[in-house]
Amino acid sequence: MNLPRALRVLRFPRLQLQRHALRTALALGGIAVAMLLWTIIRSAELGVALATERGASDTKLVVYRQNRYCPFASQLPQHYAESIERIPGVRSVSPVKIVVSNCRASLDVLTFRGVLPEWIDAELLPGVEMLQGSADEWRSRGDAALVGEELAARRRLRAGDTFRSAGVTVVVAGIFSSDDPQDRNSAFVHLPFLQEQAKRGGSGGIVTQFTVTVDDPSKLESVATAIDERFASDSHPTSTAPEKSFVANAAKDVVQLAGFASWVALAALAAVFALVANALALAMQARVRETAVLEVLGFTGSLVAWMTVAEGLALALVGGAIGAVAAWTGLWVLRPAFSAEGAVIEILPSASVLLAGLAASAVIGVAAALVPALRAARLGTAQALRAG
Amino acid sequence: MPLVEARGLTRTYRKGEQEIRPLDGLDLDIDAGRFVALMGPSGSGKSTLLNLLAGIDRPTAGSLVVDGVDLAALSRRELAEWRSRKVSIVFQLYNLVPVLTAYENVELPLLLHDLPRRERHARVVRALERAHIAHRHDHMPRQLSGGEEQRVAIARAIVTEPALLLADEPTGDLDRSSAESILDLLSSLHRDEGRTIVMVTHDPRAAERAQATLHLEKGRVAETIARTGAKESSRAPANTEAHA
Repeated sequence: MNLPRALRVLRFPRLQLQRHALRTALALGGIAVAMLLWTIIRSAELGVALATERGASDTKLVVYRQNRYCPFASQLPQHYAESIERIPGVRSVSPVKIVVSNCRASLDVLTFRGVLPEWIDAELLPGVEMLQGSADEWRSRGDAALVGEELAARRRLRAGDTFRSAGVTVVVAGIFSSDDPQDRNSAFVHLPFLQEQAKRGGSGGIVTQFTVTVDDPSKLESVATAIDERFASDSHPTSTAPEKSFVANAAKDVVQLAGFASWVALAALAAVFALVANALALAMQARVRETAVLEVLGFTGSLVAWMTVAEGLALALVGGAIGAVAAWTGLWVLRPAFSAEGAVIEILPSASVLLAGLAASAVIGVAAALVPALRAARLGTAQALRAG
Repeated sequence: MPLVEARGLTRTYRKGEQEIRPLDGLDLDIDAGRFVALMGPSGSGKSTLLNLLAGIDRPTAGSLVVDGVDLAALSRRELAEWRSRKVSIVFQLYNLVPVLTAYENVELPLLLHDLPRRERHARVVRALERAHIAHRHDHMPRQLSGGEEQRVAIARAIVTEPALLLADEPTGDLDRSSAESILDLLSSLHRDEGRTIVMVTHDPRAAERAQATLHLEKGRVAETIARTGAKESSRAPANTEAHA
């Protein structure tokens, strides 16, 4: 095909789209809504994948209360830490008190993690970058919180602000960035402070879980078994699992939902295909005489097919871009995250999802335009003029 | 050598069990620079001949050479390329593209030509002026009268400087006054610019504008009337090779 000519004739489909404004707007609207849905679902799937695959270490165990699934219900005596420390293979034990603002499904969950200063120094600070405030400020105040950047952005928090959630009032001592979605969506506070705040009738000395670091990754299973056996006949039996599988298990229902949602995402792509194909099929049907006139003027069948494909591509790409960018912008502004058993799952505005959405729109636009394009290219000119 | 040379030109269609033969061994020569009218009853083969001359239909048998090119030998793609350079048609119902302005409609065939933008613009303006419709260049077809639409269609037909200008009942959908002005325009294109025009018409007054009228019957030229001046004519015998 003559390239300059192929580029020149693109003006024709552009004007067709511009001057059939209502038809174009309706098609674009439908495509945009479908791609908005696809982008949000794909972003949620990405958030689940990140939470379950990246945000966990190979040398850590989480000790939780047996048969409990919500941080409110998992209550373990803090003194268990001393017994756990004595189990062979355990390098360190950190008691953690977790308070979430909402134990049900919510897109704005705030997680307080009560930890000891040693844990902050050993586990948190080496992997994060302080954006505002300082760890020293956190150490100097009992009611201080180190807040992850996603949580800070969602709640519009800055260092020095005071905020209250789940009955806990804290002062923001610092804001940090982290690669770990669990950390960047949490507020780390002093353990005794959180225990005191969450006492509600006498639960001082109670924690939600222990994070246990083992000295050898190959000992994860044996240490976990030893911990659970140690407390099996206690009044607070435990359930210990590698951090990875703990997060994966916590998010199991969400993963299942994400699996179902991926079908919805596929349906959204099918909707884009149907909308583009329908818009073009109707347009080409209404343009039989126009197409015949183009061929009389010397437009070849392949040139007519190219213009039809370009029209489909433009519809899908513009509609897809509107939907994907709207979803991306919405996620970027709202930064929604939800919690499953204390594990935070972000719905991330990802550039890769945005690009994948645009690419999918382009491919679908071309595919949906192929049949109308071939039909237009094979139009019998004389017959079309007679029939038109 | 004539611009159009048809020998034994035959076109048949099948309609169910029945074979229809709108052109049946037609012989015809048309010299360059002539203005020829085609007349005849419905089904006599006028529009079929026009479609063959335009390269949008192919003969079943016989040969058709236009401007030295045997149209039957061209592929579909070559025929489209040939159409874009050598022939233009003016239709009875104008066939302008409704979403394009008058200017854009006239520019449309030039998008197939490798011309600089400035040259393309100059040609479009010249064609619109030649068709006396430049003042309506930014109007959409729905904003134009029938006569104005036909002027735009004529501008679109002449913008590529075709060797052969075909007109399929160009005044058939117009009132008397508009029809006269369209015929004046076609006459002046022939007289002043030496364009070769073949016009199908049912209107004897329109046919009188042409230098020659070919009467078709049953797919052949039944009669040729050549005019040297207004109303002056000489008749050729039927069923012989027509030369216009």
